[in-house]
Amino acid sequence: MVSMLQRLDTLLRIIWATARKDMLIALSERVFTIVGVFLPVNVLILMSLFALGGSQAPTVVVMQDTGLYAQQLYAAMGHAHSFRLERADRASAAALLKAGDVVAVVTIPSDFDARVAQSQPVQVDVQINNLNTDFTNDIRRALPLSITSFYAGAFPHLVTVSPQEVDRYRTDTDYIPYLTVSVMVIAIMIGGLLQAGTAAAREWEHETIKELLLAPAPRWAVQVGKMLGAFLLSLGSVVIMLAVIIGIVGVRPAHWGEVIGSTLLILVIFIALGTLLGTLVKQRQALAVLAIGIALPLFFLSGAFGPISFDPLAVQVIARAFPVYYAIVLEQHAFHDFTLDPSGLTTSVLVLCGYTALAVALAALVLRRSTVRH
Amino acid sequence: MGQDTRQSAPGGRPSSTEDVPAIEVLDLSKQFGALTAVDHLSLRIEQGEIFGLVGPNGSGKTTTINMISGLSEPTSGTVTIMGYNVHLAAMAIRKLLGSVPQETALYEEISAQANLSFHADVFGIPRGQKRARIDAVLELVSLSARRNDRVRTFSGGMKRRLALGRALLHDPQLIYLDEPTLGVDIQARRAIWDYILTLKEQGKTTLITTNYLEEAQALCDRLAIIDHGRLVAVDTPEHLKQQYGGSVIEVETAAPSTAVERLRALPGVGEVEQEGVLLKITTRESGVLVPQVISLLSQEGEIRDIAVREPNLDEVFLRLTGSALRD
Repeated sequence: MVSMLQRLDTLLRIIWATARKDMLIALSERVFTIVGVFLPVNVLILMSLFALGGSQAPTVVVMQDTGLYAQQLYAAMGHAHSFRLERADRASAAALLKAGDVVAVVTIPSDFDARVAQSQPVQVDVQINNLNTDFTNDIRRALPLSITSFYAGAFPHLVTVSPQEVDRYRTDTDYIPYLTVSVMVIAIMIGGLLQAGTAAAREWEHETIKELLLAPAPRWAVQVGKMLGAFLLSLGSVVIMLAVIIGIVGVRPAHWGEVIGSTLLILVIFIALGTLLGTLVKQRQALAVLAIGIALPLFFLSGAFGPISFDPLAVQVIARAFPVYYAIVLEQHAFHDFTLDPSGLTTSVLVLCGYTALAVALAALVLRRSTVRH
Repeated sequence: MGQDTRQSAPGGRPSSTEDVPAIEVLDLSKQFGALTAVDHLSLRIEQGEIFGLVGPNGSGKTTTINMISGLSEPTSGTVTIMGYNVHLAAMAIRKLLGSVPQETALYEEISAQANLSFHADVFGIPRGQKRARIDAVLELVSLSARRNDRVRTFSGGMKRRLALGRALLHDPQLIYLDEPTLGVDIQARRAIWDYILTLKEQGKTTLITTNYLEEAQALCDRLAIIDHGRLVAVDTPEHLKQQYGGSVIEVETAAPSTAVERLRALPGVGEVEQEGVLLKITTRESGVLVPQVISLLSQEGEIRDIAVREPNLDEVFLRLTGSALRD
C-alpha cells in the first residue's frame, strides 16, 4: 500500500514537474500569446465576421412612395432574413450599385400605394449586381417572398393559403448564434492542437527531448504532464472565447454546467491530439500548417453550419469519424438545447473520452518508441 | 523494475556490482539505410575509468554513445551497463546514467535552477534532498550566482557546466559526456576538465567522446580510436603511443633536403614528412636510425638541429587511420 502511494506520488510529481516546466517555457515565449490567446479568439471573430458579412445581401431600397403599402412592403423585405436593407435616393443608390457596394437596388415607384389600392399591376424595379450567384439567387427568391408576405399582411382575404407551423424548439435560433458555437469548437481545436503540439515539437526542435528520453520516468506520465501544461495554458483563451460568445455575440447558454463540462472535455481531446501530433511531426512550423489544414475541412464537414442530418449520407458517415462532430453536438446542446445526434449526448461524451484515451495512449507509445536521429 | 535483469558475465561468473564492467558493448552495429554508422564495435569499460571515444566527425562516436544510453536502437549487437541489458532494463539504467549531450539539452527559456529542479523531479530525487543537491551542484559548477538567470543568457562554457551539473544531480554511477568542451573557450575547457577529473576521484565511471586528442590525453585512462564506425585501437594513451607511434626524429637542415626518398628507403623508417627545412621521420628504431640519418643528410649540407621525441596522439591517429583527426 505504502509502495503504491509512493509510486503514485512519484508519477504525480513527474506529471506536475513536466506541466510546470512547459508552462514556464510557454509563458516566456511571445509566440505563446499569439498561439494561446489571440489565435483562437481571432478564429472566432474572423469566422463570425465572415458569417455576418456573408449571410445577408446588402440591398438599397429607393422609396419613391412613402405611403402605408410601400412601408409595409419595405417591412416585409426586412423580415425576409435575406436582405441587409438601407434606404437611399435614386442617385445614391445608382452610385452604390455602380461601386459594387450593394447587391441590388429595389425601387418602389411613386404610384405604388395608389395602384395597390386599386388592384392594378405595379412594377417594382430591381437592379441586381449579379456578380455572385449566391447573393443574386437570394434576391431572386426573397423579393417574390417579400411581396407574398406583404400581400398576406395587407390583404389577408386575398392570400387564403397559410402554413400551420409546429416548432420542435421553443424559440428559433438564428444562423449566427448557431454558427458561433460551432466556430468556438473549431477555435478550441486549433488552439488546443497548436498549444499542445508546439510544446511537444519544441522538445525535438531544441533537442531537449534527450533530457526526457533519458529520464527514468514513464513516457505516459511525461506526455500527461505535457498535456496538463497545455490544458492549463489554454484555459485563458477558452475563458476569453466564452466571454466573447456570451457577452458580445449574445448567445445565452441553455445549460451552463454543460457548457463548462463540454468545453473542458473538448479542450482535453484536442490537447491530447495536439500532443500526439507534435510528438509525431517534431517541427513547430509543420505542426501549425497541419493544425490549420486539419481544422478547415473539419469545420465544413462536421455540421458547423447546420445539423449534419440535413447533409448527404456520405458526409454524415465521414463526419461521425471525427471528434469535431461530437464536440459540436455537445456544445450545440449546451448552448441551444439542440439534440443533433439521435444516439444521445452520452454517446458523444463517450466517443470523445475514447478519442482522448486513444490519443494519450498513442502519444505515450510514440514517445516510448522515439529515438534520436544519429 | 520488479526483477533483476542483470546478465551473467561470460563464463558464468556471478553478477555483482563490483565485478561487472561499467559498460560492455558486444558486436554493436548501426545501419542508416546503406550507411554503416557503427560497424561491429566491441568495447569493455571498467568501473571507475575515464574512457574516451576518439574519432573524427562522422566516425560513429555519437551514434555509439546514443546506443549505449538507449537513445538509439542498435541494428545488431548488445550493450550492458553495470550488468543491465540496455533494452531489457531501460528504466534501471537511466537512474545509473548521467548524460551531457553534445547540444546540452538544456531548457534555455527557463532559469538554471528551474532546469535542475525539473531534472530532480523527473529523476526522483527525494524532496527533502532536492534543494541541498541543487545548491551543491550549482556550487560545484560555479553557477550559484546565476541560478535565477535564464539559460539563454549563459555563455557556451556556462551551459556546458550547467549540463554537467545537471548530469551529476541524481548522483549517477556512470556519466557520459558527448564532446564536453566543443565550442568552449580555453579557460572553460580547463574548468570542465577539472570537474571530470573530480568525478574519477569520486569513483564514477566517465565515458567521453571527443575529437580533441589533447583532451583525450589529459583526461582518459584508456581510449578507443574509432574511424568509419570501426574500432581501430583501444588502449591507454601511453600504450597507444608506444604501440603505434614508435619515435619521431625531427631534423632541421640549412636548406630543404633532396634526400627524402633515400631516407624512406632506410630500414626501419615508417613515415617521412618534409616541411621546408624540417624533416619528420617516424621510426621504431631511433637508436639505430639516428646515425644513418645524420650520415645521409650531412652529405648534402649542414644539419642545424636534430631531436628524438615520443609521438603525440595526433601522429598515432594519423598512422592508424591514414588521416588527421579533423580532416
